Amino acid sequence: MLIQTPAEGLYDELFDSDNRVRPHCKPLENWLVDSDEDLIAEKRREANVLFQRLGITFNVYGEDQGADRLIPFDLIPRVISAADWQILSSGLRQRVQALNRFLHDIYHNFEIVKAGVLSAEQVFANPQYQPGMQNLKLPRNLYSHIAGIDLIRHNDGDFYVLEDNLRCPSGVSYMLENRRMMMRLFPELFASAPVAPVDHYPALLGETLRAASLKPNPTVAVLTPGRFNSAYFEHAFLARQMGVELVEGADLFVRKNRVYMKTTVGPQQVDVIYRRIDDDFLDPLAGNPKSMLGVPGLYAAYRSGNVVFANAMGTGVADDKSIYPFVPDMIRFYLGEEPILKNVPTWSCRKPKDLKYVLEHLSELVVKEAQGAGGYGMLIGPKATKKELSHFADLLKAKPHLYIAQPTLSLSTCPTFVEEGVAPRHLDLRPFVLSGKKIQMVPGGLTRVALKEGSLVVNSSQGGGTKDTWVLEGDPC
Amino acid sequence: MLSRAASSLFWMARYLERAESQARLLDVSLTMALIDVPEDREEQLSVPLLVTGTQEAFTSLYKDITPQNVIDFMLLDERHPASVYNIIKSARDNALQVRGNLSADVWESINLSWMEMKDLRATGVTESNASRIFDWTRARSHIFRGAAYGTLLRTDAFHFLRLGTFIERADTTARVLDIRHRMATASQDEHATRSFFEWTALLHSLAAFEAYQQIYGHNILPINVAELLILELDVPRSLHACLREIVALLEQVENGEARKARRLANSLFANIHYGDRDYIAERGLHEYLTDFLERIQGIAEQIQKDYMGWQV
Repeated sequence: MLIQTPAEGLYDELFDSDNRVRPHCKPLENWLVDSDEDLIAEKRREANVLFQRLGITFNVYGEDQGADRLIPFDLIPRVISAADWQILSSGLRQRVQALNRFLHDIYHNFEIVKAGVLSAEQVFANPQYQPGMQNLKLPRNLYSHIAGIDLIRHNDGDFYVLEDNLRCPSGVSYMLENRRMMMRLFPELFASAPVAPVDHYPALLGETLRAASLKPNPTVAVLTPGRFNSAYFEHAFLARQMGVELVEGADLFVRKNRVYMKTTVGPQQVDVIYRRIDDDFLDPLAGNPKSMLGVPGLYAAYRSGNVVFANAMGTGVADDKSIYPFVPDMIRFYLGEEPILKNVPTWSCRKPKDLKYVLEHLSELVVKEAQGAGGYGMLIGPKATKKELSHFADLLKAKPHLYIAQPTLSLSTCPTFVEEGVAPRHLDLRPFVLSGKKIQMVPGGLTRVALKEGSLVVNSSQGGGTKDTWVLEGDPC
Repeated sequence: MLSRAASSLFWMARYLERAESQARLLDVSLTMALIDVPEDREEQLSVPLLVTGTQEAFTSLYKDITPQNVIDFMLLDERHPASVYNIIKSARDNALQVRGNLSADVWESINLSWMEMKDLRATGVTESNASRIFDWTRARSHIFRGAAYGTLLRTDAFHFLRLGTFIERADTTARVLDIRHRMATASQDEHATRSFFEWTALLHSLAAFEAYQQIYGHNILPINVAELLILELDVPRSLHACLREIVALLEQVENGEARKARRLANSLFANIHYGDRDYIAERGLHEYLTDFLERIQGIAEQIQKDYMGWQV
C-alpha cells in the first residue's frame, strides 16, 4: 500500500524530517508496504464485527441511550522506541509521585502554600478542593492510585504533558482490547517486532487496589454508575479481569460506618472501592442529594477509615487546569529534582497580564475551561471563525478565572487508514500510572487519533479513534 | 455473589429458555394450522397465545388471528413485552448487568443473538421463512447452553443461571402439556389421523416426540404422554427431570442460613418422584398441573426472597 508522507514541519511517528522511515519503525513500514489494500479493508470489517460482538461499545452523552457506538479502531499501530519509553516512564513516575505528595500536603500541612509556591487562594478556593479531606489519614498517603497522564509529542520531538487525570481516568480497556485485536488479526506482525506486552495491567491494578488498604486480605469491588454509563464496558471488563465484584450503588449499604455488599449469603464487608463515580455522586448525604448512583453513609464510612476509595476524594484539585502550570514547581519542591517531562506553557487568564496577552493573541492560542473535560467548550484559535473568536473574547473578559490558554501545539502525526488511503493524522498518548506499594505501569497506553484531516481533537466523543500502542523492547535506537 | 447479579443471571437464563420454547411452540402451531381444516386453523394459532396467556394483548394489537399476525406478535413485535425480540433483548440487558460474572464465550453468545435478532427484525419474517427463524432461535439457545456448560465456573453464578433455566422449563412443560393434552383428548372422538397429529404436536412442542417413540412405540396413548412428560426422569423437559435439577442446584448454592426454597422444592420433587400415573389419572391431569404450576411459581418466588431480595 502507498503511505502518504507527513506535512512539512510536523513530527511524524513513522517518518523523520527527511521522510525516511525511522529505524525502529522499519518492520511496521515493511508490513504496510507489503499489505494488500483489499486484505486490510477485509481486516477492518472483521475488527468492527469483533468489537460489536465483544460489546466494546460506548454511549455518547446526548444521544439515545443504548445507542451502542464503536470507537473507531485504526489498524496501524503507533510505535514508541525503547529509548523514548525510558524517558516517558521515569518522567511519569516522577510526576505522579509529586502529585500524590502535593495532595497529601494540601490536605495536611500545606507546606507548598507556606513556602509561597502556590497561593492559598489557588488551592483552597478551588472548587475541586474538598475541605472534608483535611487531615484525613490515608494508607500509604496515596490519593491518586490510578493516574492517566495525557501527553503529546511536539514538533521538537519531545513529549509534553497536556493534562493529568487523577480522578477516574478511563480508556485502559481500549489499550488492552486494541492489543488483543491486533494480535488476533495480524499475528505475523508481532513476530517481526519486539513489542512489550501490556496484558498484565489488570493484575497490576488488582495488586495496587489491594495495597490501597492496610488489611491483609482486603475485599475489593469496582463501583460503577451502571450500564448506561459511557465507560460501563470498561468497568465490567476490569472487574472480570481482576476477579472482583462489579457493584452499583444499590448493591452496597453502610452500617455502623462499615460498607457491605448485598450478597446471596448476607452482608459482605468491602474494604477497597475502585470507584468510577465522581466525588459528588458517591454519597447523597454528603454530595449531590439527588444522586441515585451513590450510597448513603459512604462518606462517613470513608472518614472513619473503614473503607478506602481509589482514587481518593478530592484529587481533582491537583489535575485542575489552573493548578497544572505549577506541576513542574511541585516536582522541584517535593522531590528536589528537575522535571523530566515538559509542561505546555500555559497562561492563567486569572492573571491580568496573562489575560491581556491571551486576548491579543487569541487567534494563535488554544483556550480551555479550567474545569472542563472531554474537549467540550474549548477554542482552537487558528481554526476558529471570527465570530467564535469574538464570542470567546467576551467569555474571557466576563469570567477570566475560568480559563487558561496554551499555544497551539502541533500534535505529532502517524499514518492512519482513512477514506483516501493511508495518511498522517494527529494523535496523543495516555499512559496509566499505578501507585501502590510502589509505582507501576505497563509499557504502553491509550493512543487516540483525530480521524479528520488536520484535526487536533482526539476525544472519542468528538470523532476520535484509537490505535494499538507499541512500546518496543530494548531496540538499539 | 451479589444478590442483584444472582437475580440477573436467573432472569437471563429464564428469558433464553423462554425464547427457545416459544419458538418450538410457534413452529408446531403454524405447522398444525397448515394441516388443519380451515375452520380449526384459528384454534391452532391460538395455542401459543393461550400457553403464554397473551390473548388479550394480541387482540389489543391485531384484529385477526392469521399466521402472519401471530408470527409478528410472538416473534418481532416491539410493543409486545413477551415477543421473542423483546425476550432476547431482556436477556441481553440482564447479561449486560452481570458481564463480570459471565465468561467471554457466554456473553458473546448472548450479545450476538441480540445483534442478529435486530437484523432479523429489520428484514422481517413471513410464513415462508419463519421456520428458518425457529431453527435459528433453537440453535442460539443451544450455543448459549453449550457456552455456559463449557466455560462457566461451577460457582453460584452457574447455579443461579441453571435454576432460571429449569424453573422456566418446568413452567413451560406444565402449561403446554395442560393445553395441548386437552386439545388432543378432545380430538380423539373425531378421527384417528387428526388425533395422531394433535398428539405429535404436543410431543414436538416439548422436543419429546422421539423420546416417546423410543419408550412407548408408535401407539400414542394419552396417559403415556402425561407419564412421559411428568414422571419420566430421562426426558430432559419432564417435570421430574426439571425438579431433580432444581433440588440439586439448591443443594449446591451457598446457603447462609436455612432456606425455605429448598424445603418447597424438595417437597414438590418428592411428590413427583414417588407419584405414579394412576395418581395423576385419578386426580385429573388439569387439576394436577394447575397445582404444579402454583407450586413451581411459589418456589421461584421463594428463591428470589431467599437469595435476591434485600431489606437492610
